[in-house]
Amino acid sequence: MARAKAAAAGVNPKAKASAKYSAFGLISRGATNTSWPRVWRDVPLKKTYDVVIVGGGVHGLACAYYLAANHGITNVAVLDKADLGSGGSGRNTAIVRSNYLTPEGVAFYDRSLDLYNTMAVDLNINVMFSRRGHMTLAHTDSALRTMRWRAEVNKLQDIDSSVIDPSEVKKLAPSLDVSDHARYPIVGALYHPPGGTIRHDAVVWGYARAADHHGVEMHQKTEVLDIVVEGGTGPEGKGAGGKVTGVRTSRGDISAPIVINCTAGWATLISDMAGVSLPISTRPLQAAVTEPVKVFLPTVVVSGSLHVYVSQTDRGELVFGASVDPFNTYNIRGSLEFTEELAGHVLELMPGISRMRLLRQWSGLCDMTPDYSPVMGITPVDGFLCDVGWGTYGFKAGPVSGEQMAAAIATGQTPTLIEPFSLSRFAKGDLVGEKGAAAVGH
Amino acid sequence: MTRNRRLAPQIGEVINRSAPLGFTWNGKPLTGFVGDTIASALVANDVRVVSRSMKYHRPRGYMTNDFWDPNAFMQVGDDPNVRSAHRLLEGGMAIEAQNVWPSLDRDIKAANGLVKRFLSAGFYYKTFIRPQTLWPAYEKVLATFAPGGTVDLDTPHGYYDKRYAHPDVVVAGGGPAGMAAAIAAAQSGAQVMLVEHAHVLGGHLRWGSIADRALADELAAEVHGAGVEVLTDSTVTGRYDDNWTAIVQRSHPIAIERLIKARAKTLVVAAGLIERPYVFAGNDKPGVMTSGAVRRFVNVHSVRPGERAVVFSANADGDAAAADLERVGIRVARVVDARAGENVIEAHGNSRSVESVELADGSTVDCDLLVTAVGWTAPTSLLNMAGDRPSYHEQSARFFGSASIDDVLTTGGIAGDGSIDQLVEHGRLTGRLAAARAAVIGHQLQAATARAVEPANAEPAWPTDDRAPLDRHAHPELFRSSTHGIVDFSEDVSSKDLVSAANEGYDSVELLKRFTTATMGPAQGKLETVNTVAVLAEARGETIEQVGTTVWRPPYAPITLGALGGRVFEPVRVSSIQPWHEAHGATPILAGQWVRPEHYGDPMAEVRNTRTNVGVIDVTPLGKLDLRGPDVPKLLNQLYTNKWSKLAVGAVRYGLMCAEDGVVLDDGVTARLSDDHYMMTTTSSGAGSIWEWAESWLQTEHPDWRVHVTPVTTGFTSINVAGPKSRDLMQRLVTDIDLSPDSFSYMQVRSGTIADVAGCFMWRIGFTGELSYELHVPAGYGLHVWKRLLAEGVDLGVQPFGLEAQRIMRLEKGHFIVGQDTDGLTKAPTTGLANLIKLDKVDFAGKAELAWALDDDTAPVLVSLQPTDPRLVPDEACQIVRAGTNEILGRITSSLMSPTLNRSICLGQVLPHVAAAGTELTVVLVDGRRATARVMEHHAHYDPEGERLRV
Repeated sequence: MARAKAAAAGVNPKAKASAKYSAFGLISRGATNTSWPRVWRDVPLKKTYDVVIVGGGVHGLACAYYLAANHGITNVAVLDKADLGSGGSGRNTAIVRSNYLTPEGVAFYDRSLDLYNTMAVDLNINVMFSRRGHMTLAHTDSALRTMRWRAEVNKLQDIDSSVIDPSEVKKLAPSLDVSDHARYPIVGALYHPPGGTIRHDAVVWGYARAADHHGVEMHQKTEVLDIVVEGGTGPEGKGAGGKVTGVRTSRGDISAPIVINCTAGWATLISDMAGVSLPISTRPLQAAVTEPVKVFLPTVVVSGSLHVYVSQTDRGELVFGASVDPFNTYNIRGSLEFTEELAGHVLELMPGISRMRLLRQWSGLCDMTPDYSPVMGITPVDGFLCDVGWGTYGFKAGPVSGEQMAAAIATGQTPTLIEPFSLSRFAKGDLVGEKGAAAVGH
Repeated sequence: MTRNRRLAPQIGEVINRSAPLGFTWNGKPLTGFVGDTIASALVANDVRVVSRSMKYHRPRGYMTNDFWDPNAFMQVGDDPNVRSAHRLLEGGMAIEAQNVWPSLDRDIKAANGLVKRFLSAGFYYKTFIRPQTLWPAYEKVLATFAPGGTVDLDTPHGYYDKRYAHPDVVVAGGGPAGMAAAIAAAQSGAQVMLVEHAHVLGGHLRWGSIADRALADELAAEVHGAGVEVLTDSTVTGRYDDNWTAIVQRSHPIAIERLIKARAKTLVVAAGLIERPYVFAGNDKPGVMTSGAVRRFVNVHSVRPGERAVVFSANADGDAAAADLERVGIRVARVVDARAGENVIEAHGNSRSVESVELADGSTVDCDLLVTAVGWTAPTSLLNMAGDRPSYHEQSARFFGSASIDDVLTTGGIAGDGSIDQLVEHGRLTGRLAAARAAVIGHQLQAATARAVEPANAEPAWPTDDRAPLDRHAHPELFRSSTHGIVDFSEDVSSKDLVSAANEGYDSVELLKRFTTATMGPAQGKLETVNTVAVLAEARGETIEQVGTTVWRPPYAPITLGALGGRVFEPVRVSSIQPWHEAHGATPILAGQWVRPEHYGDPMAEVRNTRTNVGVIDVTPLGKLDLRGPDVPKLLNQLYTNKWSKLAVGAVRYGLMCAEDGVVLDDGVTARLSDDHYMMTTTSSGAGSIWEWAESWLQTEHPDWRVHVTPVTTGFTSINVAGPKSRDLMQRLVTDIDLSPDSFSYMQVRSGTIADVAGCFMWRIGFTGELSYELHVPAGYGLHVWKRLLAEGVDLGVQPFGLEAQRIMRLEKGHFIVGQDTDGLTKAPTTGLANLIKLDKVDFAGKAELAWALDDDTAPVLVSLQPTDPRLVPDEACQIVRAGTNEILGRITSSLMSPTLNRSICLGQVLPHVAAAGTELTVVLVDGRRATARVMEHHAHYDPEGERLRV
């Protein structure tokens, strides 16, 4: 009983209680000048694991955690070619919401939001979930019609989401220009109070730490060079009909009956190693941040037609994101044009902040599928699973994806929530549709 | 009692003592001089504490006294985060300390310092976890710790601008080497732009000896004489692919700030070196400064940064600072020589100033100024952006570029050490090389550009780099003393924080940065990164080289959103007829980029007139793509779902475009004007995206196809003439086209002269359901043709109609609008146009998916609906549900009152099992009430057989 309770809190009952994060812990360690234990252990790479997860981002780490916490599968290694959370997990703009269009989308992201809601306690780390509300602006009548559609659907699904008029927009975000002489006047907005932002790094570290408490190993700077498959119909015995036996890494070979591809940006390259081809193209998505100023923007503001979303962190910086760039590349250098267009559009929305200065820009890679939905679950190679193709919205889905992938591995059955996302849908004409909701806005 | 800390007049000072400037500091009136920075004016007025630190609100004074000084951020009027050690003083400035409450001197949050030991870096991740309900309250408190100034949301946008430049050589940095490079490049015949971060050229010569300053003036004169374009108070802030450089020009006569985008053939990085602070206990006390800071105060602005100094020196600059202090009568109590193994252990003092310093030899020396000269950080940002990964050189204790990049060269301190003469000589060689390489690159560009004049001479040989590299002088590795101190002053992160974070497992540079936020402040690591790396290396027992650094990302220096945005070149689009619309009472509506007439007073009457007589509508925003080349049919077959190989010259065909997931992208008609010449129309909103879509297929999948796509949306004014009397009207304006129904039938196109305007084309299509001609006339003649149509048709009852009337008529006809009646999930079969999906074509976008979609009997179906109550017009987007439940069966996508039928009419998407004609459906109105509507047999509510448009 105590064990189950501790497991629910993400803490290994064998670990010292003092490792738990709390105000008391801060005070006692501060007073006695004792340091905290490592957030995750630094252990040697073993030769064999039950499960190898490729990619140490939110998806991979969540999967590892739920494998251990929910299913008792603890002989698990999470491999990352760089540091944990250095890919999309650390480059996104950390926005979460659940006001999606289709019942499948709502169910999926609502579960994700549930997990985010209780994450701080579940993982015993403050992920700084700021439920500040999420506002998608409409600049035209047709955009407003789409928002009303989403609101009407959400209303029937008990999701807190409604269309508000410009005066209400102004009340929620006084920095917005809601006058009708703006170049792109704001004619209304879809407002979703439960949406907000989360400290994305904390989510990464929280899952890693909790997984570590259960015995999962995190191996950074461990690049997967190849996936070993036997008996497949493709070259080198890879591909359909084959069976995974392990991976070759920059730090040595590992044998494992189950390998999960949880990468973004390089998902196709990793899958190619197993002889599994994915219908994914990789595009950059850019973001930027300003110097800090005193907090003035209390909600997340998204404008689909101006290709911009913006929120202000508790540190006072404005964080901006855009839509994916319209070309394929693995290059993550930012472009000047992005910052120019971004600034121009932000100032259309908030003309009063022209003197704020852009401090840093960066770019991340998005794996886009033809239907803007992920690829999850089994592949034609036995033991090789994927949780990839997350486009621009992987962060929002991290917890639920990990939970469901873990269930898929542990039970050998594909859970209902992720059934629509199977790789085989592309061969069966069973594409999912959340394009209208997922890809356009954050 | 305030002391005057201004020195007696000195040779080389930049202030004008006969031009005083009044300003206020936290409301208190003070005086400075023209030429002062805000910082020098404040220090001259005996201001020592100028800000409070972010987390512990510790009092801070100037430390580096330059653009990057982390303690120098101030609010000036409505301008937050002004770098006061860089910004020049102006008369009347209202300068205030930021982020203090109630005042700079008495700041409540300084109490955080008392509980500092509990607030180690990242403490917030470890607390406020339970109870969860309290977190929002904690969050509000945390948010009040956000550093920075205050944005006045009513700040007027102001005037910002941009400029494009195409210099041969851009030199980033106007110190001795940079100036020499610019001079040599210009003398070699190159067009040169020299960009200097500070307000005047000279670099470190400006705060050097009298001879240094004389040399700076001499070189500056030579720079101007050589015809170099000089930009001061400007920074090369980004280097992107192909030397696309972003330069922020902060001082501009008109613009608040200007972004210059320069395509440099070669870029010379002569950014100099940034002096690094030293980490030890008390290193953030007011009065602890770098040697450069002190020399700038003393030599440039003639102010006394203290009265009694201790100088901790590891290099000649530290020694020079000591000499400068003594020269102006500031007592140097002790020079602590790092080269002799001496060290600083801790600075002690009160809330206003350092008071004494404890040394490694056990002695304590009283002082109010502690100068550190412990070495430099090479600002390698621009090299990083060019793909270089600088490597650490232990003997000289700094990073150097490691790659050889053809079009990016380095000189000056970033490249190595030497005497001023050696640096200047290296600069000259670098400038010459840069110019020679620019000449080759220019030659290659000219030869590669199709329309350029052929280069007269042969391509010059690629100049090899035969510069003798600069030396790398030995320098002690000094990052941290035996005590812990602040590493990141902007973020209040100490070396102790870094060590404990590393021990906790955040032990790579990236993780450490994210966890502690070190290097993430306004200086973006220029002062902090190397110390951070050094502390981490120490904690891990590794070398700095092994630990590595973070990647410097653009921008190098922050740039205002105003300058990046510039003047917004997204003008509202209007057709050439717009003046007429405005003069005739049109109600405007914003449709995408366009402003168009919604109606001219009574849309219902406009519908009735068009259905009875003839109406004209301005449809210029319709997307138009001119397609030429022998392979146009291949492109059309790829983009549209139906077949295009056999479209005859003179014919028009409707087509539907789908994305690869089978979802409807766009629709429109395409006409074949002559053998190799087609005109495609897209929806108004698709004008840009379909052009991109076509180009994406041509450029990435079929580069071998000979097709040229030109967007001509605004090249033509488009007018639809609709109504039973439209042929009568057109006959009065057209002489060279036979309009008889046999000769020019439905879905045909003709080119010719309309209202005496040659080069027009027109086609017969029928969005409104009436006999109609869509005219496309050269844009400049649009208004003329429009006026002629109205003048010639008076007796026929011609009237203009707007978008609203058109929407009503198309809904009466049951035509769907892509994006309104379809959405991001609507596959082609839903629209009812399954017969336009030709699976026997070799390929087209969406084919595989549509093959399945055609067999899918669960997808929604687009149907016409009529509410039971003919007066009820449900809102568009109202949901259709199973009666008595919330189970969604579909939704209303279009809904209007029809003046022709005198009842409400709708289009909607519903699930197939409730799509049969005659089915009664439940509609949930926006206010929650429920109503019923009936599924109709045809999409068209009016003239389902289309008899009216084929006449």
